[in-house]
Amino acid sequence: MVDFDPAIINKTFETTEPVEVNADWIQHYCEVVGETNPLYVDEEAAKKGPFGGVIAPPSYAVTFRNGRHFFEHVPRFGRRGFDAGKDVEFVAPIRPGDKITLSSAVKEIYEKTGRSGSMVFVVIRSTLKNQKGEVVAHIDHRFMNRP
Amino acid sequence: MNSFQEINVGDTLGPLELTVSRQQCRDYAQIMGVAGIAGRFTDDEAAKKEGLPGIILPGNMSLGLLAKLVTDWIGMGNARMTRIGTTYRQPVQPDRPITIEGFVTNTDAAERTAEIELWIENEDAERLVVGTATVTFSK
Amino acid sequence: MSTILDLHTHSEASEDSRAPVEAYLNWIKLRHAERPLDGIVLTEHRQFNRDADYRHLEDKYGQMVLRASEVETNYGHMLVFGVNEDIVRRFDFANVRLDAQTLINEVARMGGIVVPCHPGRPNIGLYEHYQSKPPLENVVAVEALNGGSRKGEDERSAELIRKFGYAATGGSDSHLVSLIGLCATRFETDIKTIDDLVRELKAGAYQPADFRQRRKPVPQAVEVETR
Repeated sequence: MVDFDPAIINKTFETTEPVEVNADWIQHYCEVVGETNPLYVDEEAAKKGPFGGVIAPPSYAVTFRNGRHFFEHVPRFGRRGFDAGKDVEFVAPIRPGDKITLSSAVKEIYEKTGRSGSMVFVVIRSTLKNQKGEVVAHIDHRFMNRP
Repeated sequence: MNSFQEINVGDTLGPLELTVSRQQCRDYAQIMGVAGIAGRFTDDEAAKKEGLPGIILPGNMSLGLLAKLVTDWIGMGNARMTRIGTTYRQPVQPDRPITIEGFVTNTDAAERTAEIELWIENEDAERLVVGTATVTFSK
Repeated sequence: MSTILDLHTHSEASEDSRAPVEAYLNWIKLRHAERPLDGIVLTEHRQFNRDADYRHLEDKYGQMVLRASEVETNYGHMLVFGVNEDIVRRFDFANVRLDAQTLINEVARMGGIVVPCHPGRPNIGLYEHYQSKPPLENVVAVEALNGGSRKGEDERSAELIRKFGYAATGGSDSHLVSLIGLCATRFETDIKTIDDLVRELKAGAYQPADFRQRRKPVPQAVEVETR
């Protein structure tokens, strides 16, 4: 069985400095992933939509960087983990001008075997908040390690 | 996509057929701030040293593509994607045709939600990335 | 009389699946013309949910929902059918290094049956383990068709079946609703309970059923029903 200190579970190990969401960066993101929905790219059309103005596409939430020391706190089992997938809960839209912080904690660690061999999964939960302290998203990152 | 009442289990999303370019891949890595760190998204030789066939899409980019299928389906309707989950099974390579598709697999009238299954498949119909999403409709 | 069951499925109780059981049954109802199942067997990863009760869903959808497990051993992954109190006391299903021969022998002794799954899969399939370790004794059947197989995997399973004379099952290994029932097993008798299933798996009178529409060529040496 996997050996780790259970005290690290659900204990926040990092909160990043706020990052301001820039309207130009949203547009650039949309170009890179091919987003054309007017809600994200057309201010005039978006004003008539359900959010009253342009918002970031929901997937923009996963582009916010972790802190420089993030991976020092993520438990490793063998070689550094690959991104195995994410579960993202989108709580509120992210808008141009929002200042977003990420707070992260180890949520879960478990072991399994698969076609590529033995694996240990480390799940990190990051909570994104805006400048009003409102949660905008929860992201569970699954990192796959090979012991 | 029409109103919640018109959605049926079995409705399809897509297929969306596209090819992601190597430049898009590098641009995405730049957005994530890892272009200079994670060579597997920007440089073939660096990717091969990691045992990969060449540069690959960042997992987050695949998530973005799956999310786009859902948000395109929603359009400007009175609904919001409230959750997405992804599992990366095989690397997605740029410059190769991929197809993104989905099905509505469940609806909940009380919660006004639709559950959607999504995937990215290659030319051999192998599912490289799979996921699910929840769309919540306003009352 | 015959019964068609998807013998290998994962609901949201498995950490890598998001499929509610009811959504599976609803999908089978929707796709019944292409996938004429009589029921499914939930084979959750590394656990057996003793308290789950799906009788209300069985009544609502007219489908059987039986419960089993997928466990991990030193010879790869295996499906355990007929899990009872004795078996869960004897084996820690969360252990990813169970001893396969002990599992097969003891589960049989305690009234169940172990069926190695996706035997052609690298690392977690019997085929690769047999290259370096002695073959297991008392294996009755292996999973010939797995809905999650990649190129070559079902072919390696067929080779194993041809060499050792195993009976052959099929299962979707679904973790997504839309994949339920793409591969299944057709039994020549009426199955209504998990005890019936265990008895019939031991008897060997069944074959895999392939309901995939974009089908890869069916491996040789395995008789498979197709549609």
